[in-house]
Amino acid sequence: MLTSLSYREKSLYASLVAELVVYGPYFVLHRQNTVNHVAGMIIAIIVLQIILQSAIAAVTRNRVTDERDRLIELRGYRAGYLTLASLMVLGLGLLWFHATEGHLRLDNERAGLHFLSAFFGMLIIADIVKTATQIVGYRTAL
Amino acid sequence: MREITQQELADKVGVTRQTVIAMEQDKYSPSLETAFKVAMVLGVPLEQCFQYVPRGKR
Repeated sequence: MLTSLSYREKSLYASLVAELVVYGPYFVLHRQNTVNHVAGMIIAIIVLQIILQSAIAAVTRNRVTDERDRLIELRGYRAGYLTLASLMVLGLGLLWFHATEGHLRLDNERAGLHFLSAFFGMLIIADIVKTATQIVGYRTAL
Repeated sequence: MREITQQELADKVGVTRQTVIAMEQDKYSPSLETAFKVAMVLGVPLEQCFQYVPRGKR
């Protein structure tokens, strides 16, 4: 099955797996909400991506990207941007609501870490949507 | 029409083999430049390679 996938498609699957493996436990378990843990997660995703992308490049002889790859990539970025913009508007709206209602205490360290998680989560969701949109684009008609 | 493998056609046109497969399966409509290149490599007129059929009539 791997030989029927283009280099770009294999790269996308690897990215998606890496994101789910590294970010999934953090957001599902959400036990250690610290700056060090977030930094560790970022380093982990970078290392895992380097390993996976290098392995795919090593086993793939033909690494050509063509017009169809570029078109699918553009669609992915569009979906990812729209997702990020929507989540940001939603997040800022909730932030404004809670601030005006007095629910929010910005002198609380935990509140700062929750915001870090929330906005980081928005970036990750948008990136996953971008990657998934591209994978769907390869499987369906354009 | 010349006999040629998907990989050979892809290499000569400058696309991936998966794009050639997508074109054959009607999952992708190439750019005009790529369509002309495909016709040129196969040695046939453009309209012999690509036909337009409206979506409702497919």
